[in-house]
Amino acid sequence: MKQFADHIIRFRWLVIALVSLLSLGAVYVLKDGMSINSDVSTSLPDSDQAARLLKDIGDEFGGNTMGLVGVEAKNVLKPGVIRDIARITDSLKYDTLVSSVVSLTNIIHIQGGDFGISIDPLVKPGQLPETKAELDSLTKIVFGNDMYKGVIVSNDTTMALIMFTIRAGVDESKAAKLLRNKIEGMHLDERLYFAGSPYLVIGISDLIAHDLKRLIPISLLVILLVLWLSFRSFKGVFLPVLTAGMAILWTLASMKMLGFELTMISDNIPIILLAVGSAYTIHVVNRVGIMIAAGRKKAVAEAVKLVAVPVLMAALTTIVGFLSFVLGAYLKMIRDFGIFTALGVMFSLILSLTLIPAILSFVGNKSAKANREKKAKTNFIRGKLLQPLFYVLKERPKLIVTIWIILLLFGIGGSFRVHRNVNMVDYFKKGNPTRVAEKKLRDKLGGTEVVYVEFTGNVQSPGFLKTMKKTETYLKTFPYISQPQSVADLIEQMNEVMGEGKKIPSNAKKIQQLWFLLDGQDIMKQLVNSDLTKAVIDARFSSGNSDDMHAFVNAMNSYLKNHKSNCCKVEFSGMPSVYSHMDTSLLYSQFSSLLLALVLVIFIVALLLRSFKSGLMAIVPIVATLVVLFGVMGLVGIPLDVATVLVASTSLGIGIDYSVHVLNHLKQVQQAGKSGDEAVADMLQITGKAVVINMVSVAAGFLVLMLSDMVPLIHFGLLVALSMLCSGMGAITLLPLIWKKSIQTKNIKS
Amino acid sequence: MKKIAFSLMGFFFFVWVWPQRAYTQNAEEILRKVDQVLYASKDEQSHLKIILTDKNGRQSERQAVIKQKGNTMRLFRFTAPAADAGISFLSLPKNVMYLYLPAFGRERRIASHVRNQKFAGTDFSYDDMEAKLLEVKYDPVILKQDENKIILKLIPKPGVQSEYSKTELTLDAHYFYPVSVDYFDRTGRKIKHTDYIFKKIGNYWNAFKITMKDLRTGHQTQLVSTDVKYDQGLSDSDFSVRALTR
Repeated sequence: MKQFADHIIRFRWLVIALVSLLSLGAVYVLKDGMSINSDVSTSLPDSDQAARLLKDIGDEFGGNTMGLVGVEAKNVLKPGVIRDIARITDSLKYDTLVSSVVSLTNIIHIQGGDFGISIDPLVKPGQLPETKAELDSLTKIVFGNDMYKGVIVSNDTTMALIMFTIRAGVDESKAAKLLRNKIEGMHLDERLYFAGSPYLVIGISDLIAHDLKRLIPISLLVILLVLWLSFRSFKGVFLPVLTAGMAILWTLASMKMLGFELTMISDNIPIILLAVGSAYTIHVVNRVGIMIAAGRKKAVAEAVKLVAVPVLMAALTTIVGFLSFVLGAYLKMIRDFGIFTALGVMFSLILSLTLIPAILSFVGNKSAKANREKKAKTNFIRGKLLQPLFYVLKERPKLIVTIWIILLLFGIGGSFRVHRNVNMVDYFKKGNPTRVAEKKLRDKLGGTEVVYVEFTGNVQSPGFLKTMKKTETYLKTFPYISQPQSVADLIEQMNEVMGEGKKIPSNAKKIQQLWFLLDGQDIMKQLVNSDLTKAVIDARFSSGNSDDMHAFVNAMNSYLKNHKSNCCKVEFSGMPSVYSHMDTSLLYSQFSSLLLALVLVIFIVALLLRSFKSGLMAIVPIVATLVVLFGVMGLVGIPLDVATVLVASTSLGIGIDYSVHVLNHLKQVQQAGKSGDEAVADMLQITGKAVVINMVSVAAGFLVLMLSDMVPLIHFGLLVALSMLCSGMGAITLLPLIWKKSIQTKNIKS
Repeated sequence: MKKIAFSLMGFFFFVWVWPQRAYTQNAEEILRKVDQVLYASKDEQSHLKIILTDKNGRQSERQAVIKQKGNTMRLFRFTAPAADAGISFLSLPKNVMYLYLPAFGRERRIASHVRNQKFAGTDFSYDDMEAKLLEVKYDPVILKQDENKIILKLIPKPGVQSEYSKTELTLDAHYFYPVSVDYFDRTGRKIKHTDYIFKKIGNYWNAFKITMKDLRTGHQTQLVSTDVKYDQGLSDSDFSVRALTR
């Protein structure tokens, strides 16, 4: 380490020039900004059967990205509103971005009677209903047919639905945005709601962009404030922020160069790095400040030599915490978040041990005033917090133990109440237009989440269509499924108008000839592929509850397993299926990444402190923190979602630093001959102070996330801040007691 | 409506028309001459190849036999592919149309309000399948007239239901057969385009190739007629419901 420190000082100009050059390069790479990908489905692994099938359905049936436009009026079955619905429908129908559109004005209507048979749109083009008789007739048809009632027109007639599928292969978000602008540009009298996955994705992208613009400056201000309060010096404030800023710049540039986009998870990397990445520089600056009396260059080299190992240890454990997502994560966006946050921490570490000593070797000593102020500040922490804490630890250790036991009991109790949530609608705050639109369409028109059952085989065979119909009948038994539709329904209706009853004909020839009459109808390309080898049942799911989705997906999978057909292969997909897989994966991600992080952290700490027992002791505050964390989540009702699933491993990676510093200090003072309460007092006075300052600054940095527009990030910020406080307090209360106990046991044994 | 008349009539009829200049004629006279070209023969029989091409270039093919008598009766019977063989449509005067599905062994009348709907996956509508004089359906206006071509604007007569607000018919100024037609929706946007290739068979002009393209969807239908026979002495009973089911 000494050699390393000497080299940094010797080549300080080179270090500064190299870092400056790299930073300029990073600025150049980022000159056009970064693209944002907020589509969770692109983050699913290729091996995910539901996601793969959903993609296949998109390719076969002209796209699987369904946008929905809710048209709200006092009564949508009025001439003016019908005219506007027809306008929107036509504008979508012939747009090259859209592969199909279904609405009140163009939905297929099959009927037979004395007048003959007809297969035509419910509202004929150029013949929009105007008279009372025509409107009454339309109302009667709409409310007499399950395909229309509550699906195309709400039961209270205040809302009509226009569904469109974005053509496969186009940029879905861009297309959805253009289509929304086009429709809004019509300046219609009705209130319009845009919902469905493309609008959720747009909504989240907008929030991410907004968050980035707003939260980074706020986070920066908070960190600056905490640093100013802690150091009251330019160096103490500027250098940690410089390190974090450069680490952020390098990390984002690396992401862009490697072809990664910002996601709803990775967009908080800058804030995490601001909070975490500045900590290493603080240690270096602090240590150099103490050493400066020995002469500037020499003092800096000496300080680096002393501080490098603890800083390296702290960074390594943090890196391990983030890297645990690589092996444990199911979603690619979580894996990418882990990789690039770890990379950012590594950049912070490198900069703290190279650039910062190089700069410090040029700048002067800390002013006497600053030293006085710092002393006053630390005296406050010591006097008001650490001294009383020492008294309690010494005189009333059982009180500390009792408090922790109570906290743990609450934690364990609350942990059982933790629920999972993968519903993207809940990522938006209440009142957000996207959330409002989703809720409206869910409440009035059968939801926005698509459900598909895909059948592969000879589409025109009676067995195939009868299997479809049977599956569709089963689908209808679920309360959250709104009217499923398939080509089997259309064939049944056609058979009825040919006078042979509403059923699938048993003669394949009859099916083929009915099919002939349906050929060319817009709806056919949504329901059957072009070479007639695949067909889908198309439905929507109206519950956003994870348990409902899970129950539905399990029941469907079980049904399909127990009702295998010889005539066709049946597979099931759609957003509930994807969400359900994500939901299961959240638990898997949580446990696997946490377990991995715990094992690695024990290993690293044991290695660095050369004691396996120390490794085990170090994780006690962390385990206690995690129990409290899950307890709070359960008791407060914060769900486990794509963001909060990161909290445990993130907290472990950052929070373990406190334990490491405390144990390291206790070990050092023990080696120096101090024992028991004396050692604890020493630890609290020096390391305890650092832990408290760091705990507060990191927590403050994360609390900035509470200003986010995205609910999961608000929860993430709150929970990480809480776990920082918890692991910090655990390190300076629980660990000294355990350490003392272990010393006593050792003494008794010897 | 005119689309129908032009496209289908082109297959089934031809008229021998003396080459003449049209400069001095009014729009109604010109349209009447077009009808005379298209409905020149007493009857006509032909084989038709229907090639459907989607916007991605994927093609499918059907075949049919067509019989027509005068300008009011037409029988359309599919012959290929095998699954569709025997499916027939009969168009009679007064907007009466019947459908026959052999697998069901029965005919059904087609409701009059579906006339503007697509016919069997083609870009033509049921209305296009009927035989009806243009002058009965449209009010013409001359848009352009020179030595080689005439362009007529056709507006549906009051009471005629049409999905088009107008069509623009380009004619050969010498023989009065259609060269192309543009179709416009109610907003005035051009939505379909048809090209005709006529050739003379005997005394009649025959549209042996018609290509209609839906400009909104990119879908295209091409009709190619072969084995065209004129004046075979078809009787009314060849166009009865009974004949449909045979």
